[in-house]
Amino acid sequence: MSGHHDVSYLAPKDTFWKSVWAWVYTLDHKRIGVMYLAATLLAFFLGGVFAIVLRTELWEPTRTVITDAGQTQTTGQVLFGWKENGQQVTANNAYNRAFTLHGTIMVFLFIIPAVPAALGNIFLPIMLGAKDVAFPRVNLFSWYIYVFGSIFAIWSIIHGGVETGWTFYTPYSSSTNWGGVTSMVLGAFILGFSSIFTGINFIATVHKLRVPGMGWFDMPLFVWAVYATAIMQVLATPVLGITLAMLVFERTLHIGIFDPALGGDPVLFQHFFWFYSHPAVYIMIVPGMGIISELIAVNCRKRIFGYRAIAFSSIAIAAISFLVWAHHMLTSQTAALNAIFSALTFLVAIPTAIKVFNWVATMYKASISLNTGMLYAMAFLFCFTIGGLTGPPLATLATDIHLHDTYFVVAHFHYVMMGGTVLAFLGGLHHWWPKFTGRMYNENLARLGCILVFIGFNLTFFIQFFLGTQGMPRRYATYVDEFEWMHKISTTGSYVLASGLLLHLMVFIQSLMGGAQAPKNPWGGLTFEWETDSPPIEHNFPHEPVITHGPYDYDTEYPPHCDPRDYPLPDQAKVAALAHH
Amino acid sequence: MPTPGAHHGPASMPLTLALDWWDKLWFNGHVDSSTFSASSDGVFFYIFWTSTAFFVLLMALMFWWAWKYRRIPGVAPEASVSHNTILELTWSIIPTILFAIMFIWGLVAYLPMKIAPADSEVISVTAKKWAWSIVYDNGASPLQTEKLADMDGPVFALPVDRPTKFIMSSQDVIHSMYLPAFRAKRDVFPNFYTGQWVQPTKISHRWNETEKVWEPVNPLDKGYYLTCAEYCGDQHSQMMGRIMVLAEPDYQLWKSQQADTGGIPLTELGEKLHKSKGCVACHSVDGSSGTGPSWKGIWGQSRKFKDGGSAVADENYIRESMLEPGKHIVDGYSNQMPTFQGQVTDREILAVATYIKTLSDNEADKEAAKAAAAEELKQKTEAKP
Repeated sequence: MSGHHDVSYLAPKDTFWKSVWAWVYTLDHKRIGVMYLAATLLAFFLGGVFAIVLRTELWEPTRTVITDAGQTQTTGQVLFGWKENGQQVTANNAYNRAFTLHGTIMVFLFIIPAVPAALGNIFLPIMLGAKDVAFPRVNLFSWYIYVFGSIFAIWSIIHGGVETGWTFYTPYSSSTNWGGVTSMVLGAFILGFSSIFTGINFIATVHKLRVPGMGWFDMPLFVWAVYATAIMQVLATPVLGITLAMLVFERTLHIGIFDPALGGDPVLFQHFFWFYSHPAVYIMIVPGMGIISELIAVNCRKRIFGYRAIAFSSIAIAAISFLVWAHHMLTSQTAALNAIFSALTFLVAIPTAIKVFNWVATMYKASISLNTGMLYAMAFLFCFTIGGLTGPPLATLATDIHLHDTYFVVAHFHYVMMGGTVLAFLGGLHHWWPKFTGRMYNENLARLGCILVFIGFNLTFFIQFFLGTQGMPRRYATYVDEFEWMHKISTTGSYVLASGLLLHLMVFIQSLMGGAQAPKNPWGGLTFEWETDSPPIEHNFPHEPVITHGPYDYDTEYPPHCDPRDYPLPDQAKVAALAHH
Repeated sequence: MPTPGAHHGPASMPLTLALDWWDKLWFNGHVDSSTFSASSDGVFFYIFWTSTAFFVLLMALMFWWAWKYRRIPGVAPEASVSHNTILELTWSIIPTILFAIMFIWGLVAYLPMKIAPADSEVISVTAKKWAWSIVYDNGASPLQTEKLADMDGPVFALPVDRPTKFIMSSQDVIHSMYLPAFRAKRDVFPNFYTGQWVQPTKISHRWNETEKVWEPVNPLDKGYYLTCAEYCGDQHSQMMGRIMVLAEPDYQLWKSQQADTGGIPLTELGEKLHKSKGCVACHSVDGSSGTGPSWKGIWGQSRKFKDGGSAVADENYIRESMLEPGKHIVDGYSNQMPTFQGQVTDREILAVATYIKTLSDNEADKEAAKAAAAEELKQKTEAKP
């Protein structure tokens, strides 16, 4: 019995085909998490390629290149050899497809599943001391649904692409005759089920599978964050599903729901769409916040400041996120609605601000290790704070009228999504990489990658705030000459960013090929994942773990499997005095 | 732009330059250009400076502590608290108050944007893929165009220090009428009317009687932009226009100039309409294909339709294409064109047809078009008493 269960979850089986079968029919949450990770990283790469394509297109103000024959050609054609489809493609279409595919792939295929379904799947059960998630078969099923939905999305790319924007606003999306729209919408519809199944699974796991003795406030904050996310996924995603299904019905069966030409109402679509997609913004960021709490606590070797405030703020954000959807529509609705949604939007800013204060406060009198994970946490605090603070100008009515649908919005949500979630994801990936692969990576090259990503990211997006306040609308394939210098800075930054990400990829490949064997607890963490092997064994722990301390008791506990001399504790008399106080 | 020295004296020149640079960086130099600019930018800078203060404080602490408390092997950290109710309440309540001020200030500055004064000048705006149709109360539409982001857009005028109200509707998808310099924006829908109003406060252009042109007051500032802010397809980024803000007498002069097209020969008027009515978005005149077929060399040719039929491109065909564009679709294209029913006069339809005739590959057609235009103008002048 024990012999079978003591092997690494990654260990191959006797024969090649048995090993393959063991992956495709695995019920192990870690293997499913790794499969999610592989799929989402592939999507991240694909979305990144489209990002570079669209940034390159924006290098020049206009897209037209005059050739010798007196005919006009698009930058897309000149740069990438993109062919015109019949006679219907006009010059800007290459750009419009690029930004739509970038947005759809990044949102639906990468950022929503990346943290919860990939890292959450691998670590949530281990952090609870559980053997697996509550419903392992549903877990595997959700991965296959993800793949199935992705096939529809990829099909729509091959089938001519999509040029509606990731928001699929009607009546544009219901009337455009561009090929891939229906299959892309169907893809997003199917991906929603994957998200719902993962959410249900995590809620059940957190409620029922915590190791005996672990109360709600003994849970790591990453678990709290993934739990809050799961609630939002389960409650909000069905609305998106219904909305997208109605859009498909309208496109294929010509049932008038949103298209005024068929008797529908286009603003109704916006309400439905944002009723999901605003909580979705928090589905994207809250798990990232969970990672940051872990990174800061472990690498500062300190009890996280205001544990309960951070935990409750995740739940508060999840709850309020359902009440702010119409702030995406401040230029399309009445003053009374605008006033209500502007006020509600500020409510969501308060718990977010509290989290940032708590994270920074945790660094006070800490013992800070500046490894890649911590550098990413600091990069996150820098970028996410900018992202957060540029939210109020968009929530304030008088200023949003000006900034709505401009590059200010583009910069703002990239500072939150990329500067927030993606930096947190990359930090988490480095933090947990030794645990789930069993290999160390080159720390200095990874740090260099992080610095390149940080510089490239800020170079790309900071200037876009000024493009926005100067009045450049988003989704513009061409622009007037005075914006050229800003776009050139932005495009240059995107290449630096891409080079940082490629460096990370090489570091990871090198780690898998010849990285040193990872110790059980390389960073001195106190949560359960650091007690088990690297990589963990099939059912995570040889015996059910026993909870002896809180997840962040760094001031009183030596980390397991580490040399205590490397992790000296503060003066225990003072710790006790402060705790008593 | 204030003249350096005139207001501040030579000593403050660097300050003036810095302020100009600051205005340019934030708002492309267009500050105080409408009544809304002042109120909206006031809230904006309150948010900006509050945010900057918090950001600098947080980042200073983060970098300072990251250095000060860096891990030194073998050295134990100091004991410290992990919870402080008073501190946590403070940093919850202070942002709440600051956010409340943002909300209230933003609301107070926003409400006037929703109520146009009763004595507003009224301009009706129709958006379509991909052009703005702008019609004044005297029936005039702007004829002058300017190449913006590689496409011709209309140049139109607004009166200074007087409210102008736009009544807007769309013929196809959702657009958004965005006037960045005036901090005004409102979505334009196909199924109901929306409105917005602005009151520009700075004259940008004046009439040059000797040159007979509208010239910018400040040679470095060519006026304000009209843009589309809601994604609407291929030429979304080129749905632009140029706004001139004029003194009242100039504004009345401009309006009467635009209304009086009777003296323009058909060929010339057709060429102007091709740009000002937005035909140029889809129909080139150099033979390259766009969303719609090029106008070059189609005159008198047999047009093959999707449904298998065909027709010769003549005055009747062109008239039908403008008023009932969905009736016959040329093979290789899709049904994209909005109707111009009610937006063009008979003479304007004839002008477009005559202009297309001048683009024929046949020299005789070109000559005939020019002759017909001259004849029409002659008859018009003779018909006048």
